[in-house]
Amino acid sequence: MKLEIGNFYVQDIVFGEKTFFQNGVLTINKEEALKVVLEDDNIISADLVIAKKGDPIRITPVKEAVEPRCKVSGGVMFPGVTNKLMPVGKGRTHVLKESCVLAVGEHWGGFQDGLIDMSGPGAKQTIFSELLNICLVANTNEEFERHEQQKKNKALRWAAMRLAEYLGNCVKDLEPEELEVYENPPLDQRSKKVNQLPNVVYVLQLQSQMLESGYNALVYGWDANSMLPTLMNPNELLDGAIVSGSFMPSSSKISTYQHANNATIKRLMKEHGETINFLGVIVSNLNVQLEEKQRSAFFVRQLATSLGAEGAIVSEEGYGNPDSDFILVINELEDAGIKVVGITNECTGRDGKSQSLVDLSEKADAIVSTGNVSQYIQLEPMEVVIGELEALARDGNSGGWDGSVLKEGSIQMENNGIFCADSSSGNHHKTVVEY
Amino acid sequence: MKKAIHYINQFFGQIGGEDKADFEPEIREGAVGPGLLLNNLLSPEAEVSHTIICGDNFMGSNKEEAITRILNYLADKEFDVFIAGPAFMAGRYGVACGEICKAVKGRFNVPVITSMYVENPGVEMFRKEIYIFPGGNGAVTMRIDVPKMATFAKKILSGETISSAENEGYLPRSIRLEAFKEDAVSGADRAVNMLLKKINGEEFKTEMPMPVIDRVPIATPVKDLSQATIALVNSGGIVPLGNPDRIQSASATKWGKYNITDLDRLQAGEWETIHAGFDPSAANSDPNCIVPLDALKSFENEGKIGRVHEYVYSTVGTGTTQAEASRMGAEIAQQLREANVSAVILTST
Repeated sequence: MKLEIGNFYVQDIVFGEKTFFQNGVLTINKEEALKVVLEDDNIISADLVIAKKGDPIRITPVKEAVEPRCKVSGGVMFPGVTNKLMPVGKGRTHVLKESCVLAVGEHWGGFQDGLIDMSGPGAKQTIFSELLNICLVANTNEEFERHEQQKKNKALRWAAMRLAEYLGNCVKDLEPEELEVYENPPLDQRSKKVNQLPNVVYVLQLQSQMLESGYNALVYGWDANSMLPTLMNPNELLDGAIVSGSFMPSSSKISTYQHANNATIKRLMKEHGETINFLGVIVSNLNVQLEEKQRSAFFVRQLATSLGAEGAIVSEEGYGNPDSDFILVINELEDAGIKVVGITNECTGRDGKSQSLVDLSEKADAIVSTGNVSQYIQLEPMEVVIGELEALARDGNSGGWDGSVLKEGSIQMENNGIFCADSSSGNHHKTVVEY
Repeated sequence: MKKAIHYINQFFGQIGGEDKADFEPEIREGAVGPGLLLNNLLSPEAEVSHTIICGDNFMGSNKEEAITRILNYLADKEFDVFIAGPAFMAGRYGVACGEICKAVKGRFNVPVITSMYVENPGVEMFRKEIYIFPGGNGAVTMRIDVPKMATFAKKILSGETISSAENEGYLPRSIRLEAFKEDAVSGADRAVNMLLKKINGEEFKTEMPMPVIDRVPIATPVKDLSQATIALVNSGGIVPLGNPDRIQSASATKWGKYNITDLDRLQAGEWETIHAGFDPSAANSDPNCIVPLDALKSFENEGKIGRVHEYVYSTVGTGTTQAEASRMGAEIAQQLREANVSAVILTST
């Protein structure tokens, strides 16, 4: 399978008469872009606001991040979700690099939403402060979940995908500045040199712990809760086959932007043929019942073993209860003689003195730590707020509480509520150390 | 100039050896013994203004008395840092350094620093509470161990941010907090680099060392259920409607107890779950599926169990740190013991 990703580097974003990309500047016809957003009658008001790296801006409640892209050939964007179901991962995809669509609640937030600071000390918590963000700030008529702590955020998340594709389409017919090529021959057609390298799989444990549909990560539009672990081509993930869900404290989530830019997959692809033979991605899930957890872990082991894996990297999209799925998979793989490195965040409390994971194992001897969900964060007021700051304190945000928003807009919160901060996809350089 | 106060034992205080180990604590102006080296190293930013000398046996046998006297000596002194030792492999001296550092930190809230050999019993006793630098196992390393403490003291006194145990050289205090990788090495690169080393049989270093796994033994069975008092405890967030104790929906630090003496079951609409970590619809339509009061009451009526304990205990498990969970568990267990409860049904979600 061969995928070409053509990159157009966005250096600035402005509003104008027409949506086009020229000399590094993305110009957006706001009216036309909002029409795409308002195709869904559930959205009752919407605006676009630009937030750039270094701006004195605080954004919350952020529900999703999507990279502006389009398919030039070989499929559609977000198959089975916003477009018809068809395979992706081959052909050509064009990307407006360094830009990002953020779905932001005009008023209402929830448990799973996040906060982004574009400058100041809070900015380094998350990679999304590094981007040129097109904030879709909108309100919806989703009254059924207005006062729910857990929100599906469907209208806004879907609108973000449509908007990202609309923007991406402006570079569909242009020549990209850079072309990344990802090619994975079938396992039996790899050269002798490649076959002699250590075989490695990547295991991605998607967040799928909600029983009701509408909250979990989607694989080609299919609820990850209803699947058994399956083998996917890395190209499918880099080409938008996985859409993020709307459950789990924000810092532990992997946004759709991060799925398509999964840094661990990209690095493994880079190593492929040099130091390893990258066999593919085992897409797994995170469950609530012990038997479900075990079943998934057995499938991951079976797939990895059948493929002849000697090494594996396991990413856990979540913390707390899913730590048991994470440890179970590590135990199964290590018991099968496969050497494992895990990527996860931890929950050591505000004082840093608590046990890192809910479940432990001596076999989990190689862990990359990406953050402490309960890290206490205090931030000064920001000149501009996009969205509604009170959502952090009012709407049950996992990192906020009554009193999180102080006078004049300074805030106190836990890292839990920073948007996709503890990237278990490996996209950030945050870690946890012992003091 | 900033001021340091230095603690040493009778031997390094030049009082005498084991025969003088009952030497009662005293305070002197200026530096004594290894304090002279410390004073030189702290200069010009700081000086050793006073030295406390105390016999190891006196501290060991009369701990409260020794600490009280020393804290009294310090009460009218102005000082910015307290340094003890180095104690090397001397066990009683190491423990004494730990005890006095902990007490001084608690009373005066100044930074405290000591040094001892990693196998000194003082390390395990005080590692989590104070800065301990790993030292040699004998006084021969004095010129290595004192500079480590002096350099670190100067760093603290200058107001610089203290970084990780690994960077600074003190023994890890089991405090795990966030930091940012120098050179901005991503999690992905760290993971792949670690995997390559692990596959190739090279040495690798985890970023999350596994703590000693604390397993709780399974309790012995209840001998005679018909005489037993059974309590219901849950981490599923079942509370009376409106959550009177305002238990947090995630990362809980509170628990509640609710009288259920007159109830046969928990009615939907009167009880609810406030747990934010699972789909609440089933629990809200029948709270007994988390707190099985209905089943237990019928057992009570049938005489299968003696009685149901009069209170239900509730907290929320999602995002709750292990340390908070342990504390809450111990508090609840204490009440259950005092009420002579024979067994507990602990439901999670």
